[in-house]
Amino acid sequence: MPDRAEHISHLRRAVARIESSPRRESARALPLTRALDARLGGGLSGDGLHEIAPAAPADAPAAFGFALALAARFMAQSGAAALLAVEDFALTQEGAPFGPGLVAHGLDLSRVVFVRAPDAAALFQTLEDALKSGGLAVAVGEVWRLSKYDLAVSRRLALAARAGGTPVLLTLPTAHDTRLSTAAETRFSIAAAASPREARAGRPTPGPPAFAAKLVKARGGGEGAFRLVWRSEEREFDEPAISVPVAAEALDRFGAARA
Amino acid sequence: MARRAHEVAPQAALAVVATLKNARRLTGVDVNAEKLGLTPGLSLADARARHPALVTFDADPAGQGQALEQLADACSRYTPLVALDGVDGLMLDVSGVAHLFGGEDGLLADAQARFARARLTLKPGLADTPGAARALARFSQEGVAPAGLEGRAFNKLFHDLPVAALGVAPALAADLGRAGLKRVGDLAMRPRAPIAARFGADLIARLDELHGLTRPSIEPRFPAPDFVAERRFASPIQHQEAVEATLNRLADDLVVLLERRGKGARRLELALFRVDGAARRLRVAASRPLNEARAIQRLFRERLLHGEPIDPGFGIDLMRLSCALAEDAEPSQHAFERAFEADQAKALAELIDRLSARLGPSRVTRQTLVDAHIPERSVVARAAALGETEGAALDMPPRPLRLFERPELIEALAEVPDGPPLKFRWRRVLREVAAIEGPERIAPPWWRGPEGPTRDYFRAEDVFGRRYWLYREGVYGQTARPRWFVHGVFG
Repeated sequence: MPDRAEHISHLRRAVARIESSPRRESARALPLTRALDARLGGGLSGDGLHEIAPAAPADAPAAFGFALALAARFMAQSGAAALLAVEDFALTQEGAPFGPGLVAHGLDLSRVVFVRAPDAAALFQTLEDALKSGGLAVAVGEVWRLSKYDLAVSRRLALAARAGGTPVLLTLPTAHDTRLSTAAETRFSIAAAASPREARAGRPTPGPPAFAAKLVKARGGGEGAFRLVWRSEEREFDEPAISVPVAAEALDRFGAARA
Repeated sequence: MARRAHEVAPQAALAVVATLKNARRLTGVDVNAEKLGLTPGLSLADARARHPALVTFDADPAGQGQALEQLADACSRYTPLVALDGVDGLMLDVSGVAHLFGGEDGLLADAQARFARARLTLKPGLADTPGAARALARFSQEGVAPAGLEGRAFNKLFHDLPVAALGVAPALAADLGRAGLKRVGDLAMRPRAPIAARFGADLIARLDELHGLTRPSIEPRFPAPDFVAERRFASPIQHQEAVEATLNRLADDLVVLLERRGKGARRLELALFRVDGAARRLRVAASRPLNEARAIQRLFRERLLHGEPIDPGFGIDLMRLSCALAEDAEPSQHAFERAFEADQAKALAELIDRLSARLGPSRVTRQTLVDAHIPERSVVARAAALGETEGAALDMPPRPLRLFERPELIEALAEVPDGPPLKFRWRRVLREVAAIEGPERIAPPWWRGPEGPTRDYFRAEDVFGRRYWLYREGVYGQTARPRWFVHGVFG
């Protein structure tokens, strides 16, 4: 039948068009700061796996804060909800994600779904399903034991992220062993940094959260170190240079032990 | 229809024995023992004297109760309205369902066959009212009273039964016996007022109940569902694939019923009835009214895959999918202009339902801010499956990203006793404070009674830029030795 053949050829053309079109992510890349975007190739891709590792174990809260800052930006960009998955054990050891703190950090609490996973397998399964659902702006997961996380797991997550067009942010428990290869597109190493302090009543007070971010792995191959300050109200990162002497001055007042 | 069941052994006479008022007495006897003239209430010594071969078991009320619940579950294959009747009976409301089993006789035959297979004897009673059915089951050899029985035929069936058949307390039955009123007929034929005056209005109410003048409602164990779809199998199914295939068809059937009324299911139950009488119920909840078969199938598949595995035993011969709670389904499909957002919201709701079904609703939550100053109380987590929460603005000083369930005790060194700390040791590491903000004083609500000391909170940043939420418990000058805690960490 002629019209059937025509129909099939029409479909073939449509498939070819879809396959040849550039990936959506370039349109949905999330800009961070100008310097960082240059290394990331335009921003953080909206359908990939991004790892965030603390530079030292004590920097784990900073890494979590950085991941949530990225999540807040993804949420603001798309207007959809975020899923935050944490293992049971991490809750008792590191504390539970605290709603008022998330609001102060710039997240819209009514659009965050919290998942407590009983173990690592359930956590990864949850993230995979969340990514594939396509109903989220971003999925954030906290890996509690690095031994449970490997190339196979990361590849599944990366594929799910691609399939659902949703980015996934994984925070890792310790500074990443460079030999561990994963399917992550980006990997940050995050340390806490002295915040731009304000003197109030003659005493330095903590300012907005600051991070010393190191780009360890990026799709564009770019690496580099950045100092970022998170402005939660604007949901934007700053790259300040001025605040450093303020911090140093504050340290002189307080810290006799600092070398 | 009411029913009693005893365990059966081929020839031996069996009795259940319990200690009542310091005496070992029979509390239950089987058919064989009954034939020998043994009745519940007889002392064990007397029974043994008469029939030394009597086999006795100790009474196990808890076990009996459980067994009865299981039987009740199994009986819900006949009707959703199943109630427990005392400790040894079940009451089933079979109005309007008997035709599904080939009439009342067919239903009784089916039940009797099933109980026999489980080595149980069924003593059925079926009548127009619960009271009459109970009387027949427990006190009569007749199993079924024909529908609409009246007048002489009714009297013939019921008036010869002992007064205990009315379900009155044993003491009252004894009183009636002493007054010469031994049979139901003795009471029914007498003027009501004197009887009510002497023995209480309850007796008259019971009599009316038997005659169908009042109709007491039975209290079913589970409420009757709004929408039901079920499949029976001539040959029982045993494989998981067959269960899933049936589930798919049931979901299709249920959706047709729901759509006809413009409803969606919020709470669903899948009941699997096994040939041997055991029943298994799976319940799932949805965060929005579901009226798509695929969504329903996915929720149950999640439970089948990740939950306790289904043990089909010798096979499943009835599957029932019921909707316990239905709500109006919103016609969101027609909002074309917001199609993408609606799709995304739908995908999210489906995701939440799936995760809730797999991990349990308490593990998938949303948080809502509450107007309370005590940090632990300033937020409540609700199951995300319950629906969306409202966004709220924060009107308090910054709070930490992670809060410890239990604040952790630290050693702190302060410049002045009531001042902020200069250094503190937490998790064995000494941390030097470089910047600090506080105190923010949070006192427990005094109107709720004593709840612990006042806390002074500080937001501290150490020399590396790591931030902590510290507090000092107690007020300097009032508390002997204030203690310091870390309550959370900032990002």
